[in-house]
Amino acid sequence: MATFALELRTEEIPANALPGARAALADGLGSALAEAGYAGLEVRVLSTSRRLIVLVDGLPARQADRSERLTGPPVSVAFAADGRPTKAAEGFARKAGVTVDRLETERTDKGEYLAVTVVRPGRPTAEILAEVVPAVIGAMRFPKMMRWGLGDHLFVRPVHGLVALLDDEVVPIRLFGVASGRTTTGHRVHAPAAVDIPSAGDLVDVLAERGVVVDPAERRRRLDRLAAELAAGAGCRVHPDDELVAEHVELVEHPGLLRGAIDPAFLELPSEVVVTTLRAHQKCLILEREDGALAPFFLAVTDRRDDPADLVRQGNEWVIGARLADARFFFDEDRKRGVEALVPGLERLEFHRVLGSLAAKAGRVGELAAAIADRLGLAVDGSELRRAAHLVKTDLLTSMVVEFPELQGIMGGHYLRLEGADEALWTAARDHYLPSGFDGDIPSSVIGRLLGAADRLDTLAGLFAVGEIPSGSKDPFGLRRAAQALVKIVAESGWALDLGAAAEGAVAGLGELAGSAPADTAAALRDFLAERVRRYLTDRVGVGGDAADAVLAAGWADLPELVARARALDRVRTSPEMRALGLAFKRVKNITEGAAGAAVDPGLFSQPEEGELHGASAEFAGRLAECVADRRFDDAFAAMGELAEVLDRFFVEVLVMTDDERVRANRVALLTGLRRDFMTIADLSRLQIDGGNQ
Amino acid sequence: MDLQSMILDLQRYWAARGCIIQQPLDLEVGAGTMHPETFLRVLGPEPYRVAYVQPSRRPADARYGLNPFRLGRHLQLQVILKPSPDDVQELYLRSLEALGVDPAVHDIRFEEDNWESPTLGAWGVGWQVLLDGMEITQFTYFQQAGGVELKPISAELTYGLERIAMFLGRKQSIYDVEWGGGVRYGEIRLADEREASTYGFEVADVEMLRRHLEDWEGEAGRCLDHDPPLVMPALEATLKTSHLFNLLDARGAVSVTERVGLIGRVRRNATRAARAYVAQREALGHPLLGAE
Repeated sequence: MATFALELRTEEIPANALPGARAALADGLGSALAEAGYAGLEVRVLSTSRRLIVLVDGLPARQADRSERLTGPPVSVAFAADGRPTKAAEGFARKAGVTVDRLETERTDKGEYLAVTVVRPGRPTAEILAEVVPAVIGAMRFPKMMRWGLGDHLFVRPVHGLVALLDDEVVPIRLFGVASGRTTTGHRVHAPAAVDIPSAGDLVDVLAERGVVVDPAERRRRLDRLAAELAAGAGCRVHPDDELVAEHVELVEHPGLLRGAIDPAFLELPSEVVVTTLRAHQKCLILEREDGALAPFFLAVTDRRDDPADLVRQGNEWVIGARLADARFFFDEDRKRGVEALVPGLERLEFHRVLGSLAAKAGRVGELAAAIADRLGLAVDGSELRRAAHLVKTDLLTSMVVEFPELQGIMGGHYLRLEGADEALWTAARDHYLPSGFDGDIPSSVIGRLLGAADRLDTLAGLFAVGEIPSGSKDPFGLRRAAQALVKIVAESGWALDLGAAAEGAVAGLGELAGSAPADTAAALRDFLAERVRRYLTDRVGVGGDAADAVLAAGWADLPELVARARALDRVRTSPEMRALGLAFKRVKNITEGAAGAAVDPGLFSQPEEGELHGASAEFAGRLAECVADRRFDDAFAAMGELAEVLDRFFVEVLVMTDDERVRANRVALLTGLRRDFMTIADLSRLQIDGGNQ
Repeated sequence: MDLQSMILDLQRYWAARGCIIQQPLDLEVGAGTMHPETFLRVLGPEPYRVAYVQPSRRPADARYGLNPFRLGRHLQLQVILKPSPDDVQELYLRSLEALGVDPAVHDIRFEEDNWESPTLGAWGVGWQVLLDGMEITQFTYFQQAGGVELKPISAELTYGLERIAMFLGRKQSIYDVEWGGGVRYGEIRLADEREASTYGFEVADVEMLRRHLEDWEGEAGRCLDHDPPLVMPALEATLKTSHLFNLLDARGAVSVTERVGLIGRVRRNATRAARAYVAQREALGHPLLGAE
């Protein structure tokens, strides 16, 4: 059994491209080898910032022999009248590489045909690799590809070296104008000289001796260990940032980490500013104390094993100091200018090419928020909301947020707080982008919730109006997330806000921007929101999909009420009564389809079950009304459940579709009334009865 | 090492690697990339190597001389190597030795940083080069310029000179960097930075700027409509419109919707000039082909 090792040496590959490249290469090569008849092989793909490495153990020296059944011409044309083979038979034999006497006949639906089984002897594995590897690597695609030099090749970065060894033999390959061999180089600083790899199994160790740790998992372990040691050395722990450490792993060939000091005076800046400055500009981790407060130390990743002249630490400390001084400059400048002075500048910020500036958007959001507050009877001053809608967006114009867009909202909150704004206002600025989809808490203040909801409604209405409706995986404006956040805010604020009507209001609020078919836009948005509401019920409230469908079908103009209904139904949806009712209600719906409500005439009853159902229905209607008024939906569904038996008996004993038209109409009217009452809380026909709980 | 020694040493280094040492473009530009020695020379098949310093004006980045790290006008040292040689990274690393930086005792990393200029219809892929965590160079493989696919590909190295000087000298402010002969940067430039900020943010005459933008845009069009097109005059007129746009933008006079349109107008002339240059070199029979 042989080992194959491949090393593609490149210039620095973008960190974010590497995990995908490893997966794609492992997949591509694995399936190409499987197709060539190599079963059960593990293709390991490793990488550093400057190389992609493939290792395959347990390769046989030759590809397995493969037999193939070939079908030739019909027997009728294969032999002449005298039984001698015709040209057709001879041609087939030649093609198959056998003599005519080895040809067999095979009976098929269409008649008898010549056939033969040929064995294709396996070829040397090196030959197969020389075909498969260039094909797979040549087909690799990266988020951003480039050309270099004379411009003949396309890859993620220029390629400089290619090692391809099957045990100690070079597999002859050419990729991107580079021929394979056994020569590579070590780490750029620690071992830049050329070195020959004796055999495939030596590649990883030879590189390790030369300062290159090729296994990302090993680099991760070492970085984690170093971080823990360096933090402990300063009596601190690492402010966790898994995503950043994962990036560090991809940035280097040798995992190095150093601790540097920060001037403690910078820690007077808001902690988000310090963390973001270090993270976004310098990809540095920061240390924190036991209590979570930031400590004046950072950890910087380095691509080397030492810092012989202490220059690397000094350099990083200088840069961090400069970056933080720059951030403090921005912070002080923003503070000096003040929040109010920024409002006119919103005119210059584009929200959307067609939908206009952020000032225009803030105007619409203020109106929408005020309208919602009004509809809900919330004790919030409309003019204050209109003003707040502008103020919470002003941080987009501050130097700090221009520099760090991820601090939007957070900076607005800080600046307003430091200017002595009401807590309700500054927390609204901070929180109105929350939650992100269903994740995270809703804003703490009523103003924050109103602005957060109105902002999403306006964004959704506007983008729907200009045709930017998400489809499939395409959702460039994150509208699904926006709609989820809206649903969550409304549901968890306890607002009886009809989202369908709110969507109409938001589209109307667009004025001329709403386009030529505002009713269609509002309808599309309403459907989109309904889907998010369903998601909210299944993913966040945790009810079964069928229960969600059942309660949604009975209306969703009041989300908190809907949630309560859904919870109540979900608790009983698998009970025997509900299963029976689900089936019975399907019949009720079928029978009463298209029927208008009509008064029931007990005088026309001819069977006791009719009277029984009529009485039970009336009693149920009364109880239901009380339960709904008090939002006691558990009781409502319990009352419904009590009807199961009566309804069952009715269907067993009574033929609704009788020939007597008056009797039939009366029976339909009885069921229509029942349907109307049921449908005030749920459409039980949506419950999944057959075996499934889901 | 002072600023002027850095410039001299880098120029000597690149001259020794076959670069023509060019002079700055005598027009206001936002980056060395806009110099025709980059923007035009990267087009077409002719090989070329050039290095030059380009004062780069970014009116919106001016800070009244108050921010120790940011300038409205800074110096870029720009190197173009066409086609990009196989050992371009090594060539670059050795250029740092010319600045007294010994890679053996520093941490030097190449982190992805791609470049795009909507006004020039140009983009490239590359890195920012970090020296001990400090960004000292933009390193770009040009893929497209003036909307034209490039072949061969040029490597562009842009050294941010003030930042490097500050970092190597461990200065807390750009204005403390020594320019040369014992004279500090601030003694030469601080007053201009203050004035440029006042002018750009408060004084510049918006109506006049708009008028000139229209005028120079028209002039660029006339040069391009001329038979044969006047490539360099057209590009120069276009670069003027680009700078006028930057001034208007810093002044806060460009509305949201106008912005995209204005950038598109500059790009239209830049791409026309690029195509005209390609045709012109072809008509001339690509005199620099075979020069290497």
